[in-house]
Amino acid sequence: MKQRLLKKDNVKGLCIKASKQWETYVPLEDTVGGDTHFVKLDGKNNELLLDRLNLDYESLVVPPKVIAFPQLDSLFRFQGEKIIETVPPASKKLLFGLRACDVKGILFMDDFFKRNFEDIYYLNRSMDKLLVIVGCKQPLESCFCTSAKTGPFLEKGFDLQLVDIGDKYVVEIGSERGEEFVNTYRRFFDKASKDDIEHSEAAKRNVEESVGLRVDFEKAIKSFCEDKVPEEIYETIAQRCIYCGGCLYVCPTCSCFNVFDDIKAASGARYRNWDACVFEGYTREASGHNPRTEKWLRTARRYEHKLKYDYLATGTSGCVGCGRCLSSCPVNIGISQVIEEVSKH
Amino acid sequence: MKNEYVPHPAVIESIRQESGDTKTFKLAFEDKTLAKSFDYKPGQFVQVSLLGVGEAPISITSSPSQKGFLELTIRDAGKLTHAIHRLEPADKIHIRGPYGNSFPLEEVKTKDLYFIAGGIGLPPLRSVVKSVFDKRGDFGKVKILYGAKTPQELCFKEELQSWKQMNDTEVLLTVDEADESWKDNAGVVTTLWDKTDMTTSSGAAFVCGPPIMLRFVIGKLLNSGFKDESIYITLERYMKCGIGKCGHCNIGEKFVCIDGPVFTYSQLRNFPDKEKAIA
Repeated sequence: MKQRLLKKDNVKGLCIKASKQWETYVPLEDTVGGDTHFVKLDGKNNELLLDRLNLDYESLVVPPKVIAFPQLDSLFRFQGEKIIETVPPASKKLLFGLRACDVKGILFMDDFFKRNFEDIYYLNRSMDKLLVIVGCKQPLESCFCTSAKTGPFLEKGFDLQLVDIGDKYVVEIGSERGEEFVNTYRRFFDKASKDDIEHSEAAKRNVEESVGLRVDFEKAIKSFCEDKVPEEIYETIAQRCIYCGGCLYVCPTCSCFNVFDDIKAASGARYRNWDACVFEGYTREASGHNPRTEKWLRTARRYEHKLKYDYLATGTSGCVGCGRCLSSCPVNIGISQVIEEVSKH
Repeated sequence: MKNEYVPHPAVIESIRQESGDTKTFKLAFEDKTLAKSFDYKPGQFVQVSLLGVGEAPISITSSPSQKGFLELTIRDAGKLTHAIHRLEPADKIHIRGPYGNSFPLEEVKTKDLYFIAGGIGLPPLRSVVKSVFDKRGDFGKVKILYGAKTPQELCFKEELQSWKQMNDTEVLLTVDEADESWKDNAGVVTTLWDKTDMTTSSGAAFVCGPPIMLRFVIGKLLNSGFKDESIYITLERYMKCGIGKCGHCNIGEKFVCIDGPVFTYSQLRNFPDKEKAIA
């Protein structure tokens, strides 16, 4: 793999320059509260916005799936019987500062929205993009990417991967597009020395070792696929879970949505919004029949979708080990705990 | 890239009251090119919209051999279907599709065919029945077993009588709650097994009905000698997109909307019980 060097002092300049060619998204720290979100550089206040650039964030509360799959999305508008299309224009996006696990999530979602019928709303926003990882430095207690084999650094799937070595990043080039990008903006990049590269390898090992939460991911997947998960596990979770759907909204690979119409007088719009399979109404038909009225059945679905059915359908589990389900859960349930419990059996 | 979510306007040409809460709507796409090119297979469904009210999957009940229009038999069951029931001829609705797989008529050529439907389960099967009758010589004998709660709830009453006249065809009707006017069988659809010989080793069965009926009918079919892979069941699930994205109709790793709605019993049997593929 080819490497370059990017001085931290050059990052802002690179983002501003690139934002002239690319719809550029970067992690910015909120002025209040300290959360970090991916925000589009708007071209006018880029300098000001980039003062809040935070590449050292611990985790984004909301995964970057929102960029191509917003929580609320208009499918079309209508006036009387006339439909006015609202398909977002295809755009060339630069996502700068992603974590490895979130890149895995994006690749999973890309594949899903491409499979069978193509989803133009998602794909127009997502297909033409450059993925730049800035590797994790301090994994959270809830992170288990080394077990899921989704981080803290990737071998492939990214265009560029930045490894922090103090006042500069070693830039690993993961694709032709990544190389083209580095060449286009060559004045921001330097050559990486042998020392820099050794330094970055050590830094990667350090981060990897600091991922404290380890679970037997493969054993759990095997149990799920062989249908060996005792129902008591779901029943126990069902007693505690409050079925708020929060873990699914913040999951980087959850793609379920509801569709509804909103109308005032004769005009309105059809929207889709995030939905969650743990809700009782999720499978309720107009007749009243509902195959998943019992709570534990919805719990089973929620975990089996990720750890069994996604795996059977694609060969990849739907869990990227980001730990958001645990860190967002008001009653302290995370998929990592479910994996731990299942792999005991 | 095609935008699958935008439906096309269609005009209601006529409406037939089937039963107290069920009507058949004959529709034609407003766009003449689309009306001509729209093709589908028996067992497929469309997403039906009223702008401002919502959208739902409805199976196509007409036969693909009849071009230029399609028929949907709709029960007044929820918000959208209730609004559709208030429409009149010349009113407009929106349609996209067709979606889903279909009943594999090619695979069952020369075989004896058994149709078992309960309540609103007959409309999806009607498309297949009509397709079979279009090429009557290609298939063996036909038996249609159809049950409803009351005599008033039977759909396609006149057509059922005309099917009885078809070559080598038996139509058996039953109602759960018979009244004085009812001369036929009384009881759930499985009681019709006592009225005709259902034994077969090579026949194919097409089944649609409420979940509880499916379980009992499949049991009966297996006892009569039907093979797991020769029992075709069309399923209903809550759906939002019809194209394998919204997630609502998941059963196991399958989507009812794109992998179904038609499944063989050998497929359904392999899902864990908790997926409630059948009941």
